[in-house]
Amino acid sequence: MLPHPEFAAMLLADGRLPVGGHTQSSGLEPALLGGLEPRDVPALVATRLRTVVLVDAATAVVARHRTLAGLPLDDLQLAWAARTPSEVVRAASIAVGRGQRRLAQRLWPGSAAASALAPMPAPARPVAVGAMAAAAGLDGARTARLVAYDDVQSLCAAALKLCPLDPVETTEWLLHAGPGIEEVVAAVAHLTEPDGIPAPSAPLLEQWQHAHPTHPRRLFSA
Amino acid sequence: MPDTTTPDSTTPVTTRAFRLGVAGPVGTGKSSLIAMVCRELGDELRLGVVTNDIYTDEDARMLRAAGVLDPERIRAVETGACPHTAIRDDVTANLLAVEDLEADFAPLDLVLVESGGDNLTATFSPALVDAQVFVLDVAGGGDVVRKGGPGISRADLLVVNKTDLAPHVGVDADLMQVQGREARDGRPVIGLSRTDPASVAQLRAWVLAMLGAHRSGHHVPVDPGPMAPHSHADGGAHSHVGGDGVHAH
Repeated sequence: MLPHPEFAAMLLADGRLPVGGHTQSSGLEPALLGGLEPRDVPALVATRLRTVVLVDAATAVVARHRTLAGLPLDDLQLAWAARTPSEVVRAASIAVGRGQRRLAQRLWPGSAAASALAPMPAPARPVAVGAMAAAAGLDGARTARLVAYDDVQSLCAAALKLCPLDPVETTEWLLHAGPGIEEVVAAVAHLTEPDGIPAPSAPLLEQWQHAHPTHPRRLFSA
Repeated sequence: MPDTTTPDSTTPVTTRAFRLGVAGPVGTGKSSLIAMVCRELGDELRLGVVTNDIYTDEDARMLRAAGVLDPERIRAVETGACPHTAIRDDVTANLLAVEDLEADFAPLDLVLVESGGDNLTATFSPALVDAQVFVLDVAGGGDVVRKGGPGISRADLLVVNKTDLAPHVGVDADLMQVQGREARDGRPVIGLSRTDPASVAQLRAWVLAMLGAHRSGHHVPVDPGPMAPHSHADGGAHSHVGGDGVHAH
């Protein structure tokens, strides 16, 4: 029996979901190390929503669709990779994707999601999240919202460690990201084909993240 | 465009190594202890190491540079400033790193997991490691053992490290070990110094004995627990009667 979709969405959006998400800063640490001023963090959030988050949310929506249709996810992963040019960014996404895959196989064994992920040992995070969304009974819009919300909440949580401030402030950022998140949802919730995934570019974000693994002082993996 | 290598999970991992955690405060010698185990047992056991650094991959680099193990067999896990979370609340990243090592170098006998240096309360979840060593050093002060903590009281092994430094820091290393044994209800304590071959041999023997116990199925992983033994307002430190001394008020 499927959980209630609101319940499922809350479960999967929990920042404490055991998928290794605490190792990620949604690109915030790379940005700060690259010279972004803490006061510009909300602008970083907005830029991510228009670019990398749009790609990830669309990827998850298509993954959900293809999982329910019993279709393989390999081509989708390639479509995502083509829109995620840095292998550093891809590796960070896959690290959490593997945690998501492990969780999906535990929570929904025997599901279409478990079958779709079984031959994929290294799914991208949005591919695994989309497959899990199918198992959890989320629709396309909830799937997209989950991905976008998770990106922003991870960034806000990381901000408290990287540029400490009153946590009510980061929670306010999250609230204010709501309209931008809904724009993502509206843009991608209907997608069904890998070719339909938007291909925006965020070269500065990519550059910052690409440089991150060689930085000698860092808390987060990406 | 090749992505980072990851194991093919369609090929089942046929071996599961004995997983040994090494926890303890910053600077007590966790990395050095792991290097020592690699040096002592590298010829007879197939080893892998996972490090958890808080801020850098310093520990992984140090171990690779030490030349005690093939650098490929040393993996670093970033912990997002939460060394405690990564070994206890959400062990996902560490479990995947351990499983990767076990798959990439199958069969492994022993995987050592080094926690990021944290405080006295950080211990491993039994979901991640089969047994754990808690490392203190004499330079941290003779009273650390008395302060207690779940790792000190109930880790599978307590190591009081750098005993050779004791005269220089005004600490009685033997007393620390005695107090450690008192705090641990008979669980083992080793006073370790890399300049004391007998103590190194003790550590080596303990690791081999644990590996044997694990393989024979006699060892059951135990959570040292989040609660430390404690003092009451009357000033008397004590452990409560019964069981392993773990209790709730």
